[in-house]
Amino acid sequence: MQAKTFTMADLIRYTLVIAILILFLFPIYWMVTTSFKPPPDILTRPPKWTFQPTLTNYVYAFEEANFGLFLKNTLIVSVISTAIVIVLASLASYSFARYNTGAGHLMFFFLTTRMMPAIAVIIPFFVIFKGIGETSIGQALSLGLDRPGTLVVCYTLFNLPFAIWLMHSFFQDIPVELEDSARLDGYSRLQVLWRVVLPLAAPGIAVTAIFSLIFSWNEFLFAFLLTRDVARTITVGVAGFWTHRGILWGPLSAAAVVCVVPMMIFALVLQRYIVRGLSFGAVRG
Amino acid sequence: MDEATEKAPGAGRKPKRAMSDNLYAVLLITPASIIILFFALFPLLYAINLSLRHVDLTSAVGIGPYVGLENFRFALNDKFFWQAARRTIIFAIGAVTSEMVLGIAIAFLLNQLKWFQGIVRSLLILPLAAAPAAVGLVWRYMYHPDFGVYNGIMSMLGLPERNWLGDVDLVMPSVIVFDIWQWTPFVALIVLAGLQSLPKEPFEAAELDGASTWQVLRRLTFPMLAPVLTLVFVLRTIDAIRLYDAIVSLTHGGPGTATETLTYYLYRLGMKFFRLDQASAISLLFLYVTIIFTAVALRSMMRAQAERARRA
Repeated sequence: MQAKTFTMADLIRYTLVIAILILFLFPIYWMVTTSFKPPPDILTRPPKWTFQPTLTNYVYAFEEANFGLFLKNTLIVSVISTAIVIVLASLASYSFARYNTGAGHLMFFFLTTRMMPAIAVIIPFFVIFKGIGETSIGQALSLGLDRPGTLVVCYTLFNLPFAIWLMHSFFQDIPVELEDSARLDGYSRLQVLWRVVLPLAAPGIAVTAIFSLIFSWNEFLFAFLLTRDVARTITVGVAGFWTHRGILWGPLSAAAVVCVVPMMIFALVLQRYIVRGLSFGAVRG
Repeated sequence: MDEATEKAPGAGRKPKRAMSDNLYAVLLITPASIIILFFALFPLLYAINLSLRHVDLTSAVGIGPYVGLENFRFALNDKFFWQAARRTIIFAIGAVTSEMVLGIAIAFLLNQLKWFQGIVRSLLILPLAAAPAAVGLVWRYMYHPDFGVYNGIMSMLGLPERNWLGDVDLVMPSVIVFDIWQWTPFVALIVLAGLQSLPKEPFEAAELDGASTWQVLRRLTFPMLAPVLTLVFVLRTIDAIRLYDAIVSLTHGGPGTATETLTYYLYRLGMKFFRLDQASAISLLFLYVTIIFTAVALRSMMRAQAERARRA
């Protein structure tokens, strides 16, 4: 281990780094402090930097604006769709990784569907979910406009290609020899998958699950256009403080903090894998 | 199907070949494929159908008769469509170029840090995890002409206060700055990972040969980094073209139509005016262009993936 000395160049580097961090973290700081500001201190000119912290905005968001319901909806929809995505994607990406199914073309086609602009497909979705919602099947499965099942379907569709790509990179890391020897020991193919491959791929599955969760949690467009009140999610709920009487900045900031902070914590947990996830498995951190 | 015999571990004996590898492989991907095919094909066919008819949900016409390519003729002559396309391109070029330049610079800087590199990296992750729809609204408050903190800082520094989102000339740069804030860390983190995974030997050899910093960058670092840079560029461009959440939360396409990008125009045409026919036609044109771009550009990603698999 060579001794590290602090040079003039380091001084410049660290000054730059601190400036960069201030620029990138300031909006988060401002969001959090605004959420604790007493309402009169929010609309001041010039803005106040010091204030007496209060929970008024959080109380308003949850008690007056029903934000708890949106939070619950988001949780349910993200968790269920993530669970479905993980099951389907682990089967598919194992098949791609181990058997090279479709010689790469199918997997590539899947990826292009993830890159479609959601707005360009929203009209057909709107019409079909409106149709399904009026049938008894739709009611039974909670599908239709302003029903949580609809968002579960959308987020599953949306996250599947991503999950397949990311997991694929983890499955590729598992040596084929391990599977072969398990087969020689008399394991069936399903047992190999269940007892050998999946446990080895557990970190990859966990990483993929957290990423899918973050994407579903942060999703706005489907939730905005396909839900109204009952199934409204947290991202749309934040925008709900933009009322016809004006924008309620305090509760809005409180809601934004509730929406954003859990995902930031998740992202920090993921940090070793964040680059791998963001690049669909193509770049390793 | 002899699932039962498959499942019983036949103590040391070679398992019975109950199913060919091909069939097994296909069975594994079937559930996911059905769902994705539905996602890809159904809306496409539906949109094609709508785009060929006269559809106006606000009038008595509803879903009306087939009108041939009328809606596509409308789209190609629609000046709002072309303006929106132009704005989308301006946004994408402005945002992606700045993010690439800044992100690469930050990555190089972080790569040279001797201490706290991990902490700085972690802190840069934070903007990435935030829902754009939520932080966009917070930024709207920060950009507020009267109560916004940015104008507060401007006046503290003795600079003129601006109407960041209300000024037709300033609004697009303001939206771009928001995007830069959120996505520069994405570029920086991926490029940093790329830098750190470069092999050491060529650099040591170059140092022995007395190559200048500039030569090393131009001949070694950037060429070897090219696949990662391409990938980041492609992913960012695809996202920039699809920009929607930030527009809704920051500007609603305004003032006037100054930030009305393609996605927002489609939203207005389809979900506000309910001209599903015209909106579908434009969606298809939009989809067509994005898919071609995606398919061509993402080949590089595919190649990077294959490369890595080969090395592993």
